[in-house]
Amino acid sequence: MKKLVAYITTGYPEKYFTVDLALALAEAGVDTLEMGIPFSDPVADGPIIEQANLRALQAGFALEDLFEISREIGPMIDTLWMGYFNPFYHKRMETFIARARAADVHGFIIPDLPYEEAQPYKPMMEEAGLSLIDFIAPTDTPERIAMIAKDARKFLYLVAYAGITGSGKSEDLAPVVERIRTHTDTPVYVGFGVNEHTARDKAQGVDGVIVGSAFVKVLMDDLLTPTHKIARVVEMAREIKERINE
Amino acid sequence: MNTSTDYYIPKPSPHDPDELGHFGIYGGRYVPETLMPVLEQLKADYEAVRFDPEFWGQVHYYYQHYVGRPSPLYYAENLSRELGSAIYLKREDLNHTGAHKINHTVAQAILAKRLGKKKIIAETGAGQHGVATATVAALFGLECEIFMGAKDVARQELNVFRMKLLGARVHTVESGSRTLKDAMNDAIRHWVTHARDTFYVIGTVAGPHPYPMMIRDIQSIIGWEARTQIQEAAGTLPDKVIACIGGGSNAIGIFNHFLEDEGVECIGIEAGGLGLDSKHGASLAKGSPGVLHGQMSYLLQDDDGQILEAHSISAGLDYPGIGPEHAYLKDERIVTYDHITDTEALDAFVWLSQQEGIIPAFESAHAVAYLKKMPREALLGKTILINLSGRGDKDMIQAKEMLHFE
Repeated sequence: MKKLVAYITTGYPEKYFTVDLALALAEAGVDTLEMGIPFSDPVADGPIIEQANLRALQAGFALEDLFEISREIGPMIDTLWMGYFNPFYHKRMETFIARARAADVHGFIIPDLPYEEAQPYKPMMEEAGLSLIDFIAPTDTPERIAMIAKDARKFLYLVAYAGITGSGKSEDLAPVVERIRTHTDTPVYVGFGVNEHTARDKAQGVDGVIVGSAFVKVLMDDLLTPTHKIARVVEMAREIKERINE
Repeated sequence: MNTSTDYYIPKPSPHDPDELGHFGIYGGRYVPETLMPVLEQLKADYEAVRFDPEFWGQVHYYYQHYVGRPSPLYYAENLSRELGSAIYLKREDLNHTGAHKINHTVAQAILAKRLGKKKIIAETGAGQHGVATATVAALFGLECEIFMGAKDVARQELNVFRMKLLGARVHTVESGSRTLKDAMNDAIRHWVTHARDTFYVIGTVAGPHPYPMMIRDIQSIIGWEARTQIQEAAGTLPDKVIACIGGGSNAIGIFNHFLEDEGVECIGIEAGGLGLDSKHGASLAKGSPGVLHGQMSYLLQDDDGQILEAHSISAGLDYPGIGPEHAYLKDERIVTYDHITDTEALDAFVWLSQQEGIIPAFESAHAVAYLKKMPREALLGKTILINLSGRGDKDMIQAKEMLHFE
């Protein structure tokens, strides 16, 4: 069974909506939830997730909100926190680790903390039983893939193309995936540009997909009521889960 | 200087970063994985030319015949008389395109050409770096796209027009604070997507390794020239070297060749904006270590680590971060840092214009203003070198709104 990881921007439009949405996604068969931590300068993200980040901050999102609602979400679904490095560094990694353990959150995805800069934090994550997810990009050299893959935990986040989240580009990932497999048995999930239309293709040869912008776009649709937003995202999640396993 | 060539070639610095680009805890490479191979390649490419006389000979050719280097060192006699000291201005404002930015765009464009890149992109605040990038794009036949915050597009409309006239495409960035920080976000996003054929010409000593080191090496021609010039003119090394700091390229450029001189105090001037208790751009004075735009350095941020908006009268200093080497030089107490407010900078803008007939850029006016902020006795009989990093033409419309003469 191929896995579906769903990214949602925490605290948009407000934190209790995030709780309802997370629980609905758990029921819909989503395997892992990425709770996006809103950040003022999300440089790896395209316009959709960037807007959601900025709107959540304008609506008053604070890290305490993330810690609070994660305690309700963590026990219900395998949960990771996804955020830019500065808040982790500013509040200290030790703080995030303690809060994650208290909320039954299983790890972090930090897109601007590449392999080299992540090294100082890996032992403390390991000791706490948490995973720091590593990325592999299609532009990586064979040496770099080998270096990253050998230490991977939980899953490897394979970036589908050189770019930012939510764009429609595609690249042939088969040679990269094949190369990764020679170094590790860690599952490979592909992210960036995955939606209900592209999911089946993107899932070829990998163990799962990560979907973000496609869901967040629904959350940003001001014409939908909160109930409709949740219904629509759940419907998409079910559809994607089916397609990747066809 | 007494090297084997008569033109500038960088030398290793005692403050060079480690292999991964760290100046102490600062610097590094905090970027999405997609950019890591690009940065690894750029590091190798830059290291191949870093001390290569042929590469720097080519750069020198354009510095001499196109930019107008060496830039003069001018003894500011009226200021000197008024303050009872010897004030020298390093006239980077006389460079082609009006500021020191052309130094690093020429060198980066030559490197981009060598690497076979067809396109260059840049972020810009005041527009000086954008204009300097558009200029070298025209010169070397490269496609050029410039990212500029909407707020800066409005207050620097002449520079926007210049860039377009030079053939560049200007993207107005509407997100966030709509200033330099947001322009850099969008430039990075564009670069992540187009790195294969695009060279990112970063406009200051910031960003992921190797940029802070590479741009410091390039801009250090300012201090290399000034060191010889001031010894010829004054018969001595300066007591103080003063420069304004946004990201810090003109400052590190003039400081770098004086950092090992015990008797020389280097002073970097941050944007005090409306005052340090209000809105400002003084990352070193009021910020704390953090990560933005690919590097660790001092940052203006809130309790949650969200980046705060900076403020300065000068678009070029309106940035919530600072180059990582400055963060390191501050912590190591190798360089002194202070700030100048909008009002003090505007006063100095008028002062230098009317005393010496030199209209400085708002950015450079911050460095000049420090002459009035320093205690008089700290100046008396002293030799002071100021980096006049740019000229004020670009600021005329904004100045006209704020100043009213009979």
